[in-house]
Amino acid sequence: MIKLSGIRKTFGKQEVLKGIDLIVEQGDVVAILGPSGSGKTTLLRCINYLERPNEGEVAINQLKVNVKRASKQDIHTLRKKTAMVFQNYNLFKHKTALENVMEGLVIVQKLPKRQARELAVQALEKVGLGGKLDEYPSRLSGGQQQRVGIARALALNPEVILFDEPTSALDPELVGEVLAVIRKIAGEGITMIIVTHEMAFARDVASHVVFMDGGVVVEEGPPHQLFGTPKEERTRQFLKRSIQEWSYSI
Amino acid sequence: MKIDPVFIWTAFVKLLSALPMTLFITAISVGAGLVIGSIIALLRIYKVPVLQHLAAFYVTFIRGTPMLMHLFLVYFGLPALIDAVSGAFGWTFKSSSVPILVFVLIAFSITAGAYLAEVIRSGILAIDKGQLEAAYAIGMKTPQALWRIVFPQAFAVSLPNLSNSLIGMLHGSTLAFTVTAVEIFAEANIVATTNWKYFESFIAAALLYWGITLLIEKAVAVLEKRINVYNRGGVA
Ligand SMILES: Nc1ncnc2c1ncn2[C@@H]1O[C@H](COP(=O)(O)OP(=O)(O)O)[C@@H](O)[C@H]1O
Ligand SMILES: [Mg+2]
Repeated sequence: MIKLSGIRKTFGKQEVLKGIDLIVEQGDVVAILGPSGSGKTTLLRCINYLERPNEGEVAINQLKVNVKRASKQDIHTLRKKTAMVFQNYNLFKHKTALENVMEGLVIVQKLPKRQARELAVQALEKVGLGGKLDEYPSRLSGGQQQRVGIARALALNPEVILFDEPTSALDPELVGEVLAVIRKIAGEGITMIIVTHEMAFARDVASHVVFMDGGVVVEEGPPHQLFGTPKEERTRQFLKRSIQEWSYSI
Repeated sequence: MKIDPVFIWTAFVKLLSALPMTLFITAISVGAGLVIGSIIALLRIYKVPVLQHLAAFYVTFIRGTPMLMHLFLVYFGLPALIDAVSGAFGWTFKSSSVPILVFVLIAFSITAGAYLAEVIRSGILAIDKGQLEAAYAIGMKTPQALWRIVFPQAFAVSLPNLSNSLIGMLHGSTLAFTVTAVEIFAEANIVATTNWKYFESFIAAALLYWGITLLIEKAVAVLEKRINVYNRGGVA
C-alpha cells in the first residue's frame, strides 16, 4: 500500500501542492486527472523525491518517509521501491534499448550481468521490442522509446510505477501502441499511478480515478462514479471541457 | 640565406630524444587538468557554497593571465613557500631538492585545469537533466549517475573542445624551456646553438609538433566516430 499524507510543496511563493492525501492499494491502477498546472507532475515527483516536499509523509508498505526526518538513505530506498516513466522518455541516449533496461538491474540491484540481461530481454519482449534490443534511442520512434522507458521501469519489479503523461509527447498515431502496453501490464496486477489526459483510457483501465485542481484533490472515486456521476462542479466542468477537446481532436 | 635541408632531418632525429618529455608534460598536465577541471566544473554546477566562488575566481584568473605567467609564479613562488613552511615546522626538507619538472607539471596542470573546467562544464550542461532524473528514479546515486550517464555523454559532446585543449597544451609545453626543462623546443634550441643552424633546427621542431598535432586530430576523429554511434539515425 502506498500512502501519501499531507504532501505540501511550494516553489518560491507559489504553493503547488496544498496538502495531498492519497491511498493506493496493492494492485491499484490510479489515474490522476486535472488541468495543466494543477500539480500532477509535482505530486508524482514528490513520491520518489525527485522533488522534495516541504511537508508530509510518503509511505510505501513498511517504509515511511517523512520530510522532516528523510535521510539520504530513506530517499534512496524509496527510489529503489518505485520506478518512473517520463513524459519525454528520458532514455539514456548513449545506451541501447537493452542497456537502458539492464542499467538499474546491474548497477542498483547488483544482479549478475547474465540474469540482468535475461530480465531485460523479458521486459523488452513484453513491450513488443524483442527485435530492437541493440538499437540506440535515436533510432527508435517516440512510441518505441516510450516502450523502452516502460520496460526499464517494469524490469526493476518496483512496488509502484509512476507514469507522468506517458503519451503526451507522442504523435497521435503512436499513442495507441503505448497505451496498449500500459493496459497490458495493468492487467498483471502491478501497482501504477498514471497522470494522463487520455480520458477514455483512464475510464477503461484505472481502478481508481483522482481529479486534481489547484494543488488539491478535488474528488476521487472509481471511474464509473467519477466519470458518470461526479459530485463536484469543478470535476464536471473539467470533464466537459476535456471530452469536448477530445472529440474535436478526432 | 643558405638552408641545409639534410640538417633538418638530422635535427629532426635528434629532437626525437626530447619527444617523450614533451608528451610526458602534455599528458600529465592534461590528465591532472581533467581531474581539477571536473572538480571545478561540479563545484560550479552544483553551486557549492563558497567553493563555487573560489572555483569561478580560479577559472577567470587563470584564463585571464598568460600560461607563461603561471609557470613563473609557480616556479618562483612555490619554492619560497615550501621553504617557509618547511622552516616553520622545523623540517630539513628544502625546495632545491624538488626537480624543476615538478614545478612545470604543477603550473601546467593549473593552467589546463582552468581551461578544461569550462570545457567540462559546458559538456555537462549540454546533457539534458531528464536523463539524470531517470538515473535517480531507478535508484542510482549521484556519483553513479554522473559517472555512468552524464560524463560519457558530456565527454562525447566535448570531444572537439577537449582536442583543442590538448593541442593547446602540447604547444604550450614549449614554455617549459624557459625554466630549463628539456622538451622538444629546448632541445631544438640546443641543436640550433651547438650547430649554428637555427632555421633548420626550428623547422625540424615545427614539423615534429605539426606531426603530433595531426596524429592527435586523427585519433580524435576516430574516437569521435566510435563514440558517437548512438547519435546516428534519429527517426523520432
Ligand atoms: N521546478 C519548478 N520550479 C518552479 N515552479 C514549478 C516547478 N515545477 C513546477 N512548477 C510550477 O508548479 C505548478 C504545477 O506544475 P506541475 O506539477 O507540472 O503541474 P501539472 O503536471 O499538473 O501540469 C505550475 O504552475 C508550474 O509552473
Ligand atoms: Mg505535468
